[in-house]
Amino acid sequence: MTKLILLLSISWMSLSSQAQGENKNLIVKYKQYESFDLGNLEIEGKVIAPGDLSVKERQRKKFYRDLYVREDFNPEIFKDIDNLR
Amino acid sequence: MIRWPIIILLIFSFNSYAKYSKAIKYYKSNHKNKNILIAQELIKSKYYFSATYFLKQHLVESNQYSKELENMMEMVALKTGPLSFSNLHDSYLLKFNSHSLKFIHGLKSFRYKRYQSAINSLIKIPLDHRLAPESVFILGSSYQMKEQFDKARIYYKQCITLAEKNEDEAEHKKLKQYFGIIKESCIIHQARMEYRKGNYKRSLKIYDLIPKTSFRWPYILIEKAWVHYMLDDYNRSLGTLVTYKSPLLTSYFFPEAEYLTALNYFKLCLWGDSNQVIEHYYTTYKPRSEELKKFLIAHKSSHTYFLKILLSPIKDWENMSPYMRNLMTQVRKKIKFNLELINFKKVQNEMKYLVQRSKKKKDPLTTLLISEVKKMQSWRTKHLNHYIKKQMFSFINEIHRYSYEQFNIRLEIMALKRELVYDNKKLISNRSRGSLDNVTRTQKQHFYDFMGEFWADELGDYSFGLKSNCKKVKNKNK
Repeated sequence: MTKLILLLSISWMSLSSQAQGENKNLIVKYKQYESFDLGNLEIEGKVIAPGDLSVKERQRKKFYRDLYVREDFNPEIFKDIDNLR
Repeated sequence: MIRWPIIILLIFSFNSYAKYSKAIKYYKSNHKNKNILIAQELIKSKYYFSATYFLKQHLVESNQYSKELENMMEMVALKTGPLSFSNLHDSYLLKFNSHSLKFIHGLKSFRYKRYQSAINSLIKIPLDHRLAPESVFILGSSYQMKEQFDKARIYYKQCITLAEKNEDEAEHKKLKQYFGIIKESCIIHQARMEYRKGNYKRSLKIYDLIPKTSFRWPYILIEKAWVHYMLDDYNRSLGTLVTYKSPLLTSYFFPEAEYLTALNYFKLCLWGDSNQVIEHYYTTYKPRSEELKKFLIAHKSSHTYFLKILLSPIKDWENMSPYMRNLMTQVRKKIKFNLELINFKKVQNEMKYLVQRSKKKKDPLTTLLISEVKKMQSWRTKHLNHYIKKQMFSFINEIHRYSYEQFNIRLEIMALKRELVYDNKKLISNRSRGSLDNVTRTQKQHFYDFMGEFWADELGDYSFGLKSNCKKVKNKNK
């Protein structure tokens, strides 16, 4: 049984390496030039009168800077104690 | 004619010599309490700094503590300053039931922002102790930092009473001033506490208790200006700040005051005025601070330079930088600096006597003391030099900090101007003119027009009369 598995795996490996070799030789060519005749193109649809234009109104976002305001005088309290004898 | 003072002086010096000789004798002996005995004799001969060495040795090595030792500790702490013992490890400061050592530990803990530890030590000091005014002052401040305002208020009240009592009883002028400052500091801390709690009107009332003659008064003007700002009284805030422009207060320059001025104008929508203040800050103060910075950085690693400058005549250094004179004047006025300078001179003096003694006759005790006191002298020189240097660098940092904050105001003005353009609106006028109608006042206040003269009794009581320019109107210009 093990011999069979070994044989199968060797044959699979050799086949896959062959396939890789074939891919290396593959040359892909893209179309270098193509022309469209726009006048000959047909668009399907109906011609209707334009209705009212509508734009969804939105309030512009306003950003405010957090300007510095004194919350306490703790640094000064600290300095006062530091100034004791 | 008998010259009594000379005889008394001779007896005293002989007495002092005898006590020092006793200290030498104890130093040579193997007595169990030799450290205390030497310290005792040194204190009697007024060698206080030398005594600290032996007292510290005793605290580290021994487990004995007595009332006499506590008295010695208290005296030496007062004569040399608590700093002499603050380099001891906390375990030694808390080893004995000593009030003086507990005070030193409390002060040290507060400086390291260990407020609960400071409270635990200071709460044990009785109210009749010599260091009680300072002790309750630090206790109140510790509770305030922990935002326990009710407890803080109790200790501040005690502080005011005790400091007032000590101020009345003090014989020396300097000591009287010292307790006066502690009393005023406790009042100011109460005002700051109310500010923190948002009780601005109450805070203002407490600030008003500080007389204009006080050393602290120029420093609290900026705080009062903030209170007016928080009460939305921008005109009064601007008026308070303009006091710094008076010739009497030229040495007080606070970058924060410039920022607050710009902010007040901004709140009144007087953007032009706000921009003008900011522009002036950038063109005048910033280059000056750069100049000062260059000078400071050149000497930043020196341990003596700044102290030497401060102790030399003004004409030698006043032209070094435009801010030099202002900063040095402010440092010279600080109580802490004056007290440390006195201690610095005392240690120098003690060193001089020890060297003189050593020249006459060498002995092991004097040799040891010369080496130890020399270390103390060197440390105190560095400490004072560092104090001056720190004040100067803090000033530079403040200039830069408020430069950044003012830049934010400028950006905000630009953003608001853009909003106006988008909305096709404009502010009601370009510049409002002052009027008494725009001044808020109490019944007791009277008003006179400012004619460009600063009268001493009017300082700090100014108010602008500017009308808010915040009303927007439709822009009709195309």
